[in-house]
Amino acid sequence: MKVQYKPKRNLLETIFQVEILQGMALTLRKLFSPPITRQYPLEKPPMYPGFRGQHALVRDAVTNDSKCIGCMRCATVCPSRCIHIQYHDDENGKRYVDEYSIEALRCVFCAYCVEVCPVGAITMTEVFEYSDYDRDAIYFNKGALLENWDKFIEGTGYDESYVNPFWRPRGVNASTLPAAQRKSVPADWTIEGQFVGTKVRQEQETEDMAPMEESNV
Amino acid sequence: MQILIIILQIAVLLAIVLLHVAYVTYFERKIIGHMQVRMGPMLVGWHGLLQPIADGIKSFFKEDIIPEQADKPLFMAAPVICLVTMLASLAVLPFAKGWALADINIGLLFIFAMSSLASYGVILAGWASNSKYTFLGGLRSMAQVISYEIPMGMSLIGVMMLAGSLNLTEIVEAQGTSLFSIYLFPQIIGFFVFFVAMLAETNRVPFDLPEAETELVSGYITEYSGMRYAMFFMAEYIGMMVMASIGTVCFLGGWNGPFAIPFFPPFWFILKVYGFLFLFIWIRATLPRYRYDQLMALGWKLLIPLSLLNVVLTGLFKILAN
Repeated sequence: MKVQYKPKRNLLETIFQVEILQGMALTLRKLFSPPITRQYPLEKPPMYPGFRGQHALVRDAVTNDSKCIGCMRCATVCPSRCIHIQYHDDENGKRYVDEYSIEALRCVFCAYCVEVCPVGAITMTEVFEYSDYDRDAIYFNKGALLENWDKFIEGTGYDESYVNPFWRPRGVNASTLPAAQRKSVPADWTIEGQFVGTKVRQEQETEDMAPMEESNV
Repeated sequence: MQILIIILQIAVLLAIVLLHVAYVTYFERKIIGHMQVRMGPMLVGWHGLLQPIADGIKSFFKEDIIPEQADKPLFMAAPVICLVTMLASLAVLPFAKGWALADINIGLLFIFAMSSLASYGVILAGWASNSKYTFLGGLRSMAQVISYEIPMGMSLIGVMMLAGSLNLTEIVEAQGTSLFSIYLFPQIIGFFVFFVAMLAETNRVPFDLPEAETELVSGYITEYSGMRYAMFFMAEYIGMMVMASIGTVCFLGGWNGPFAIPFFPPFWFILKVYGFLFLFIWIRATLPRYRYDQLMALGWKLLIPLSLLNVVLTGLFKILAN
């Protein structure tokens, strides 16, 4: 099969370079067409439902605290292991969440944590302009996450119904997720049974450097 | 006293031309932006009107980096050569009757000489920077100038034959005052050759091989920064305006228009130059860059024979008309 890349032109078309003139006509037409770009910092893009922006912990109107019950499902399902939860149980078996932090710089914005949360405690807001010169400002602890929610509610006028409207009942069973998301967390990613974001070097904390090198050899 | 008046005139012309350079860059960005269905500069001032001034201030205060291995005197001289030659060719342009700084009898020749010298600056810049990209840009510029200077000169021979003069004012006056007695129609082949050669001479798209951003980083100006970089840009845009003026003077009847404008005789001249500049920008927004061998083939195989043909035809018609 012979592919003809160049359309055949007759002599007149060659002399007057019709293709160039056609191109020029096109650009001239487009000169008078309205631009399709958006003047971004002045004109914000439209937000669609399910937008996965800045993380937030929903503030419960009754307790004035987060709704998190410390079930650890978000931390388990998180593919980038960026959710760290510290909790303690009192003698009656009631669980208190002491610290809930998200390392947003490591987050991949999959929103699995939002999907699996049984109480709708964590959500992803429509805020996407939160870059900072300081890494610590993007490492959200519990207070910062609650504050994110307050700011989002105040700025947009949404209420709690914003949280995870797609998966009902809330809290997708983690066993229904693909196998890759159910992988058990290796032991060196946990301290006292609680997941942490980085590999724990427990040997390094307890032993000095010399036996470490020996064990490596 | 005479000298003072001339200096004042030079200062006024320089100020107007540099202001035009600034705003040609603005309109270029705007027009190309709208042709690409976007908006161009919008933030500095109303619709970005102060953008060229901001750009000028920025490039003026930027650090001037000279590469360690560069040939310093030549590196520093190259942009000055470019800019000064381009500014010098402004002197002979007749903006209106009697509105030329130097109404010399070899005006056309002077402009050719100056535009060739400007490429000398480009070549020096490429060579003195001691970098492969700038060197390639300089080489390309050299080849391009040699190839396109010839058809450009030849295409204007027809105009000289008809006008019987190299003096730009006399060329305009020889074309008469009516709209359709301009040389565009009897010299249509010459105009085509001149226009293509003009694009090549000013290193504009589709003949911007010396600075081909996609292949040579930025060609001969790769190593330049700050004010020196801005000087190359000013030279390029003044070169565009000079070439547009030559086209206006030689083919479009200079300052003569359908009717005379009172108090501002260069009105039609400026309007025609703006038309040319728009054409430059329009072409830049439309066409891709020529390949190097295509450039050479176009110059040597098409434009030079065409311009020779034009000279012969003009001579024949002149004899027949007599």
